[in-house]
Amino acid sequence: MASLIPCPHCGTRPRQEFSVRGDATPVRPAPMAADEVWNDYMHVRANPRGRIREHWQHIAGCRRWLVVERDNFTHEVFSVSDASLEQGGAR
Amino acid sequence: MAYDYQAVHALDGTIGAISERRANHLAVHRATAIAVVLAAPGQTAEAAGILVANGEFEARFSGPGEWLILSEVHAPETLCAELSVRLGDFAFVIDQSHGRVALTLAGPDAARILANGIAIDLHADVFPVGRAANVLCNHLSVNLARTAADSFDLVVMRSFAEALVDDLKTMARSHELSVDFATR
Repeated sequence: MASLIPCPHCGTRPRQEFSVRGDATPVRPAPMAADEVWNDYMHVRANPRGRIREHWQHIAGCRRWLVVERDNFTHEVFSVSDASLEQGGAR
Repeated sequence: MAYDYQAVHALDGTIGAISERRANHLAVHRATAIAVVLAAPGQTAEAAGILVANGEFEARFSGPGEWLILSEVHAPETLCAELSVRLGDFAFVIDQSHGRVALTLAGPDAARILANGIAIDLHADVFPVGRAANVLCNHLSVNLARTAADSFDLVVMRSFAEALVDDLKTMARSHELSVDFATR
């Protein structure tokens, strides 16, 4: 069966319409934070199995960035929200 | 040195050689005025209220706070000017008349033809007349709108128009399809 992602703006769409950026959990450090902190942010990633949060972009649809919470083992999608909501929702 | 610029449609020379008309017909519009409107931050509701369909142009949803405006009445220049006046500071307007190509697929099998390449539910209850969506048609991103029970409008970027027409011909291989420029 096709992997489906329910876009909050466009409705349920196939995975092929989206582009995945990666982990949505790291928080960007302050500009003058220590080199080790920046190194961790840039290069170090946990590789968990199970429920994860990722940034996906609906390239072929509304072109919005989304935060997708899904299981990377079963590809069950738990929640999808617009990424701008995390920063107060500009739109 | 002076140049003479000539407007050439993206599909000139690739379609229109066969004038036979079949049950399903793909009409390519030569001179639809098209613009993209992006609402200013926080002004989505105001912009949407101004863009409510009237006789002059039609707004099609393409993303949150973003619409594709099509007009058969306006010329490209007057459509953008008209929209800018109406929308004021609520939104940004960009002319796409020569950047996109509008096509109309009409006929009893239109939804079945589209279903061969588009992965959304096209049943009239789910995708009613007036609904529009950006969708993936095979590998091309198009704006699809239902204009009647068996008629759909597709708007695609100019350079992808030829590929889209080829794709639609392939999708319609088990149905009768003719392709030509629209006459109006």
